[in-house]
Amino acid sequence: MSTPMQREGTMFSTYRFIPTSSLYTLVGLAAVVSVLAFNVADKFYLHVLIMMLFYAAVSSAWNIVGGFAGQLSLGHAAFFGIGAYTSSLLFINFGISPWIGMLIGGVLATLVAGAIGWPSFRLRGPFFTLVTIAFAEVLRILTLYAHDLTRGSIGISVPFRPAVGNFIFRQLSAYAVVALIFLMLTVMVNLWIESSRLGYYLAALREDEDAAQALGIDTARYKLVATLVSAFLTALGGTFYAQYILFIEPFAIFSLDFSVLLAMMAIIGGIGTVWGPVAGAFLVTPLQEGLQAKLGGELHGLHLVVYGAALIVVVILLPQGIVPSIAGRVKRAFGHHEARPAPPVKGES
Amino acid sequence: MGVILAQVAVSGILLGGVYALISIGLTLIFGVLRVVNFAHGEFLMIAMYASFWLFHQYGLDPYVSIPIVVALLFVVGVIAMLLVIRPILRASPSMQIAATVGLSTLLQNLALVTLTANYRSVETKLSRMVLSIGPLVMGVSRLVAFLVALAITGLLFLFLQRTYLGKAIRCTAQDRTAALLMGINIDRVYLLTFAIGSALVGVAGALLMQLYPVFPTVGTYFVLAAFVVVVLGGLGNLTGALLGGFIIGLVEAFSGFYVPELKEAVYFVVFIIVLLVRPTGLFGVVGAEEVGLK
Repeated sequence: MSTPMQREGTMFSTYRFIPTSSLYTLVGLAAVVSVLAFNVADKFYLHVLIMMLFYAAVSSAWNIVGGFAGQLSLGHAAFFGIGAYTSSLLFINFGISPWIGMLIGGVLATLVAGAIGWPSFRLRGPFFTLVTIAFAEVLRILTLYAHDLTRGSIGISVPFRPAVGNFIFRQLSAYAVVALIFLMLTVMVNLWIESSRLGYYLAALREDEDAAQALGIDTARYKLVATLVSAFLTALGGTFYAQYILFIEPFAIFSLDFSVLLAMMAIIGGIGTVWGPVAGAFLVTPLQEGLQAKLGGELHGLHLVVYGAALIVVVILLPQGIVPSIAGRVKRAFGHHEARPAPPVKGES
Repeated sequence: MGVILAQVAVSGILLGGVYALISIGLTLIFGVLRVVNFAHGEFLMIAMYASFWLFHQYGLDPYVSIPIVVALLFVVGVIAMLLVIRPILRASPSMQIAATVGLSTLLQNLALVTLTANYRSVETKLSRMVLSIGPLVMGVSRLVAFLVALAITGLLFLFLQRTYLGKAIRCTAQDRTAALLMGINIDRVYLLTFAIGSALVGVAGALLMQLYPVFPTVGTYFVLAAFVVVVLGGLGNLTGALLGGFIIGLVEAFSGFYVPELKEAVYFVVFIIVLLVRPTGLFGVVGAEEVGLK
């Protein structure tokens, strides 16, 4: 029997790409969403579905750094914003298709993530989190400042010119399909990381960074790899948002609230697990969209009151999140042992 | 030009006093509990609303109502400690941050829902009064805030140095296990420290009410500056917070003078550079960022 740790090869080698249960979940999800996307006539419900898929995907992208690597970033709005602004500016100024702009934005976010990530990985706990917040704030202020390029606080309206090549569709169903593909992509990346050598390295450094270093794991390097992948996927989400909403402005795009929301969904669902962020996003997004639609401008922020309370309750009572707690209970009920150790509860201190 | 620069420097130092006062509570709590309270800004917001409400409802001058606001914030600190902070004291740093961020989101949006996003301000005779010394001018309420910040820091020092309770707090900050072995009731020290830290931000809120309007997200604006100050001074270092406050006040005043649109970016960049080059802050002990030691 060879375990993944004993195998020869690079950190990318895997021993079991997609576990059967996750494969069924993925196929089931795709089937249900496809049926819904083409059969739900109500535009509002379709919009909620799209936002669920979108948040699930971006929260999963956050999970690679925040969950697997255990580095609580509250600055992912920065990568999201780079994606949204890059593709939108290229589209409106040079007519470059947002599909291409999306990839350019992803690469740009990856470069920026490398530049800021490499030096900040020495920092631990709250210090790392504070740098990520500061970084996103600086980008927001610079975006406001460079108003000749970005139109500052006025924001950018993407002209409504429906065409597949323009990443603008008349039918909401098309957006749902694109969001589904985006979600499947991020989930597959999460599954791949979880079962790869990289995933084990990340789990090791998350549990105890000193011990991981003592075992010869280059912790800074693997944190960097996780950040680059996470930044790229988050930037793709930025382009999707810009093409779907067709309007972006610095306060909404680079906001701390957005970064917090991504972390919140992952933590409520189950941080550091593949399905946790998806479950978290599916649970809270309908609440958010529903309350916003029902109350309109009034009581703006009520959903965030509920989120904040839910986050505190989950952290205190179910620190592993909802998915691992339920999964553990189901497995115990059927007499199975947990296949993988749950994410850490105890601190480094 | 010299007079203008001197004026900018004076404004910066006065502003720094306010930042220092907000930051001292934050750094005290971190030094003892090793928890970064992301809801600190919302505590400031609560203090400002309390001060505003007491003025609006009962005509109490914000300076007169300081003791009431401080007592209220002490109670807020006790409640937050018992309900949110105590259960997560042994959790991982990520989970601690998540819980206090959750508290911040909860309080901020509760204020948004119940009190609306309107800006509210208090105007008293003092808040518009200006003092001139030679060619330099300074707002009286700014000067008061600055002097009170200095006085409170001095009192806090005396408390920590001279009283039994203060010594117990310092002892716990240095080594919780040793403190426990010396018969110190750590739970009570934690509770008191958190409540005192919150009461300090109560003072800051009451003083700020004379200077700035209050609105639900006012905490975010000030708490980000407070994080910068606290890290610059070395998390857990009280003198550092005071000096860090002055440095950030000056940086903000001068960058506001030369590049007004970028003034926040300037101090965030200073912050990032300090964290990357000297993560323990300018006055912190090397290695503190890794173990959270003072």
